[in-house]
This record gives sequence, C-alpha cells and structure tokens, in this order.
Amino acid sequence: MTQNLLKIENVKKAYRNHNLIGKEISKFSALNGLNLNVGKGQIYGFLGPNGAGKTTTIKCIIGILEADSGDIIIDGKNIKGNGLYFKNKIGFLPEQVGLYGRLTAKESLQFYGGFYNLSDDLIEKRGKALLAKLGLEKDSNRRVSEYSLGMKKRLALCIALLNEPEILVMDEPTSGLDPRGVKALRIVLKDLNKKGLTIILSSHVLTEVQEICSHVGIINNGKLIREESIDGIRKEIEKKSIRLLLKVKEFPEKISNELAKKKRIKSIKQKNNGKHEEITLELKEENIPWITDFLVSKGIQIFSIEPQKNSLEEIFLKETGGD
Amino acid sequence: MGLKDKYIQKSKDSWNKKKTWHPLIISLVLVISLAIIHKAYWVSNTETNPDEIWGNKQITKNGNNWTIDFEEEVGDSITFKGILRTAPKFEVYRNDTFVPGKYSEGEALVYSEDLYGKTMLNVSGIRILVNDDLSKQFYVSEIITIKATLVSNVSTFDNNGEIITLVREGWVAEAEDINLSSSKDNYFFTAELLIFFTGLYLSLKRVTNLREQTGLVWHLAKFELRQGIKSPRMIVLGVIFTLFIIGMGWLLGDLQNGDPESAFFVQNANGALQQLCFFVFFVVSLAAIGVSVDSFHKERQANTLNILLAKPINRETIVIGKAVGLSLVVGIPALVAQILGLMFMINAGDFPSFSGIIAFIVCGQIMIFTLVCFQLCFAIAARSGTDVVMYGLGMWLLFAVVWNLLIYAISFALGIDVTADDFENDPKFQSIASHMGMLNPGYVYQFAVGLLTHRTLAIDLEGIPGWLILLALVLWPITCLRTATKLFKREVRG
Repeated sequence: MTQNLLKIENVKKAYRNHNLIGKEISKFSALNGLNLNVGKGQIYGFLGPNGAGKTTTIKCIIGILEADSGDIIIDGKNIKGNGLYFKNKIGFLPEQVGLYGRLTAKESLQFYGGFYNLSDDLIEKRGKALLAKLGLEKDSNRRVSEYSLGMKKRLALCIALLNEPEILVMDEPTSGLDPRGVKALRIVLKDLNKKGLTIILSSHVLTEVQEICSHVGIINNGKLIREESIDGIRKEIEKKSIRLLLKVKEFPEKISNELAKKKRIKSIKQKNNGKHEEITLELKEENIPWITDFLVSKGIQIFSIEPQKNSLEEIFLKETGGD
Repeated sequence: MGLKDKYIQKSKDSWNKKKTWHPLIISLVLVISLAIIHKAYWVSNTETNPDEIWGNKQITKNGNNWTIDFEEEVGDSITFKGILRTAPKFEVYRNDTFVPGKYSEGEALVYSEDLYGKTMLNVSGIRILVNDDLSKQFYVSEIITIKATLVSNVSTFDNNGEIITLVREGWVAEAEDINLSSSKDNYFFTAELLIFFTGLYLSLKRVTNLREQTGLVWHLAKFELRQGIKSPRMIVLGVIFTLFIIGMGWLLGDLQNGDPESAFFVQNANGALQQLCFFVFFVVSLAAIGVSVDSFHKERQANTLNILLAKPINRETIVIGKAVGLSLVVGIPALVAQILGLMFMINAGDFPSFSGIIAFIVCGQIMIFTLVCFQLCFAIAARSGTDVVMYGLGMWLLFAVVWNLLIYAISFALGIDVTADDFENDPKFQSIASHMGMLNPGYVYQFAVGLLTHRTLAIDLEGIPGWLILLALVLWPITCLRTATKLFKREVRG
C-alpha cells in the first residue's frame, strides 16, 4: 500500500466579503468538509467543474489561503503553524503564470531561488539543468517579457522545481499550451514522477488526466465525490457498454427495428449527415464482431466503424451531475 | 459559560496567541508605568503650574501705595518646572532695553539700573528674575527647572506725575539654580529605552526563522530596488524632485540675507532647514506614492504574487521587503537631492546645526518609508488600479496641499478668528496646528528636524513636547507598516 503523503481532513473554507467597518456582508463556501488522500509517488488528478473548489484546495495546500477548519497533513505533520517548513517541500505551478517581464530566465531563477536556503552556485547549477530539460537553455538570457505563454509555463515549472520539492502542485498545467507543449509537459511530468516526485494537478482536460495521472479525485461543491486509482476507473469503463459509430450507405427502418429488439443492443440512434447514414449503437465491446457480421449479412454497405469508448469524462459528468 | 467567563476565556486565548510578543507587551506596560512615575516625580518635586502662582498674585493699589503679594511667604523657595516662553537673549536687561524708573505691568516690577545684566525669564507664564546674563545658556522653548525664592523690596516710580511707592514681592533665582529638565528626564528616558529594547530583543528572539526572514527582506528589497530605480517613472520623478529641492534650498539660503521686514524673510539657517523639510516632503511624498502606487495591486493583476506566496516567505516579510525596497528606490535619489539642496542652501546662506542636518537626512528617509508603507496599505486593500491612484493622490493632496486649510477650518470651528491679523501667532491656534501636525507625516518630519536642531529633547514646540514628536516619528512608520502587513495577512483568510 502506498504511503500517504498528503491528507486533507474535513477542510472547510469560505470566502467572505466585508463592509468598510469590517462586518461580514456575504459568504461563499468553497470547501465544505473536503477529504482527500494523496499517496507518495502518485500523480493525483484533481477534477471538478468550475467553482468546485479545486483552486481553493490547491491554495490551501500551498499556504496561499488558510483553511477555516479541518486539517491538511503532509508527511504526518499538520501544515498549520509549519507553513514555511512545508513551503520548502512543495513546488507550485499556478494556472496563470505571472513572471517579472524585465528579468531573464536566469535572473528569474536566481530571484526565486533566493527564497530557499540555496547558494547562488547551486541555484545556477540546478537552474541550468532545469532550463536544459525544459528546452529553455537557448533562451535563458532573453527577457521573460519576450517569451511565449508555453515558454513562460516551462520557466515557471523550472522555478517550481528549483528547490527539488517532494510535492509538485499544479493548477491547470496545460491551459494555454499547444499540443506539442502538452506532450512535452506530459513527458517531463512522467519523468519527474519516475524519480519519486509526487504530483498533484487540477485540470479540466480529462484526457490529459486519464493519460498522466495514477489517481483521480473528483470534487463538486467543495466535497470529494470520488477518489479512485486510474486503473480502477479503467476497469469500470471496460465493464460498461461502448458506443459504436457506423457510417453506412443506407439503413432501412426494418433493420433498425430488428436491431432495436435485440438484447445485445442497448440503444440505437440514426442520423443522416448528407453523405452517409450515421448509426450510433450502444453495446458491449465483445459484441462488435457480431454486429458487423449481422449488418453485412443484411447487405448493409459499411464505410466506417468507430468504437467510441466510455471515458473518464462520462464518469466525471455522471459524478458531478452533468449531462 | 457566562458572559464574564467567555470574555475572560477570549482574553486568555488572545494573550496566548501573542506568545512571541509577550516580552514586548510587558516591556511596554513597564515603560508606561515608568512614564507615569516620571510624571509623578515632576509633579511631586516641582511646581508644574507656574502660571497659576503668577496668576494668583494680588496687586493692591491703595492711593500712592501699591503692593504686589503672592500667596506664598517671603523667603519661600519653590522649584518650578516650565517652558521658556521667550529666548533669554531677548530678556537680558541692558541700558538700551528700558528706561529706569518706569513700572512694567507685565513683569510686575519697576525698572532700575540694578537690573543691568540680569535676565527676566518667562517660565510657563511666571516671571523670575535671574541674577545673571543667561543669553547663550538657555534657549526659547526649552523645558527647565528653576529654584526661585520669593523676595520683597520697595521701590518708587512716577505714574503720570504721581509718585507711587511699590511694595513688591517677586521671584528671584541664581543661574546655578537653573537646569534643563533633561538632566533628570534623561535617566527616565534611558531606563524606558532600555526596558523597551530589552522587551523588543526578547520578542525578536522568539520570532521563528528571524535571521532567514531578515535575509529574505533584504533579498526582496534588493530586487524591488533594482526594478524600481531603473523605471522610467522613477527617473522622471527623481529629476523633477532633485531640481525642485535644489531650487528651494538655494532660495531659502538666499532669503536669510533678505530684508528682515519682508514676509519671506528667513531668520536663520535652522529655520530655513525646517522650511526645506516641507519642500522635500512636498515632492518626495509624490515620488513615494508614484513608485508604490501599483506595487501589490499590479502584482496581483500580473499574477506574480501567487508564485511569490508559494515560496517559504512570510506575508509580513513580503510587505516589509517591498516597503524597504521601494523606500530605497525613492530614498537614494532623495538623499542625493537632500544633500544637493543643503549644499545650495549653505552656499547662499548660513550653516545650520550639525544635528539638524543629520535629522534633515535621517528623518527624511523615515518619512519616505512611512509614506511608502501608507501607500502600500492602499495598494493592498484597493480593488482596482484607479482606486490605488485616487487614494494615493488623495493622501498627497491632504498631507501636502490642503492640510493648512483643514487646520484653519478646525481652528475656526473651535472659536479662533482666522480672519484676524496675526492669528497665526495666537497660542491657541499654534497649539491646534501643532497637535494636528502630529497626524501628518510631513509635519512630524518638520517638527522632528526642528526638535533635533536643539541641544536637548526637553523642549516644547508650540505645545508639543519633544518626546511626543519623537514618539510620532517612531509610531508613524510602525503603524503604517503594521497596517499594511495586517491587511496583507488578512487575505490569507480569504
């Protein structure tokens, strides 16, 4: 069993608005008793719809916000009162990367590295290695204001990794990145994870979570709805039916009715795209050969078959009450 | 649990929360206790209301026989403590200052040649004749103790053709019976400072990671300095305020040589220095606002703050580091401008006191730090960039431009006729103006320089004792910095 590195217990957090004399005029509860467990060495994907409390949770973990109640325990120690100690162990990559535009990448690393107990030489050495790893070595003497968003994200990741943290917390790490950037980031993260880094990331891009993460937590309305390993979710997906999209020349109503009566078919939908008839069938994966045989035997000309697997997205939508 | 128990529990919790600052809180309580003892010492050992004794004298005019009697007995000695209302150098009797044989109602004595070389002091309203020339020994506004004895003498004078015999009682003292109150105050002040610094030291020792956090303050301050000093805004402001301060320094130096009857005449170099303080404040405060106007707000918008907050640095340290850095951004060019302004002033006029020059520079830097911290409070609390600019400009307008109008308005509301000629010399108006001045960092700067041009802290500037000015000088930056850190720390609670 994986050792617990981060444990969030019944954390509550509300945002308050005060009037000029400091009296509370409104309150919005972002976290309503959140519980969460992240094991050592995991890549933990943190999912939830907008306003679910993902960023608030991340801000509470890294100490930008203080929970109203509950405990955040890292490596068996409560972060309350030990904020600075834990900040030395955590690296953080925010969603909106804000860096000082007048500094070069090297200067940025020197500046942020100055907050850790690291010598200038060590910062330079580590910085150089990180810049090389993230493909910024050539641009290390350019001003950050000249960087693209992707480059800024990579530099921010270098900054987050400079202190060799035990946990890397990332808020929507791929937002604003092009597909090449996403792929590069995925490779870097997997590589870092292999070396023992625990990663916690929040994301809207479910395919990305599915590909990178070893564990997933879904939150909604400030509460954890489900926490599962990605393998567990895969198994669940496999158990469920899949959808099969068929493009055929013609699809007579008679055959449609016949299929609808078959037990192996859970649902059937038909649409004309102007060129073909598009048939969407819901059935178990093991029944794909049977359906193709059946249609061919009925003289249906099939142009394409596209199995559409159930994904994390469906589980996410189901858990969070979406359509 | 009853309300009382709840209150006690709340107080206990609040006290326990401040464990780090217990030594400082205890030392402050001790300092306040000592200050009360200090006050009680003077009240029990000296007469601290000399004007009451002077006011209680009886002047009886019985035909040609006049008497001036005090409630005290002749031969009684009292140690008075009070402020020298006028400069002793203007109070020494010389053969050209009076006509012998004339009666002076204000001084309650008849002028005679015996008075030559003696000094008639006005100590918080009471007149005391000192058998010596005190010019250059004591100065106006200094707080002194003076042991005086009530004596009686008989003199005659001509009152519009009538010869009046005056049996007069009056207070006399010897020069050696006069001391600056600081001769005793210093013991109390030293003890109070020692207690305070011991408390502060013990508290700071309890602060976790103090050394690391101090290093981080400097790390952040250096960064702010490097970023700020090269900014186009600071370059423009720096050039403008340097030229302005140089120009005003030269003008104030030149005005010392002008016509004494002129409204713009400057009496001496120390007076000029105090006026230069205002002009320094006038432009430097604008620069301080200019550099710190968007510090936190801009960072929040640019999202640079989130990465910073995730680093192992306290929120207090971030505010202190930024405050120190931004103060240096303004302070370094201001220091150059101050020195150049002084050079031009000294070149055109006289040399002010050395302590005054030091105060002009050091207190100027404290004033800049105060204004930066003040502005940081707005930058942290404001919701939009426009708010920050408006609050900053409002603050500058209030402190540097319309403050005098505010003083006039309040004085008028308190019954002072501000349309009368010479109302600015009305002691009541001066008292209001100087007390209100404690609420304006620019005035505190001027007062502090005025105070430190003197040789002692035992002085009273228009109703404000020296210790209060120093206290204001220390409290202003601390309060502004504390407010800024508190506002920034409050954000952690969302």
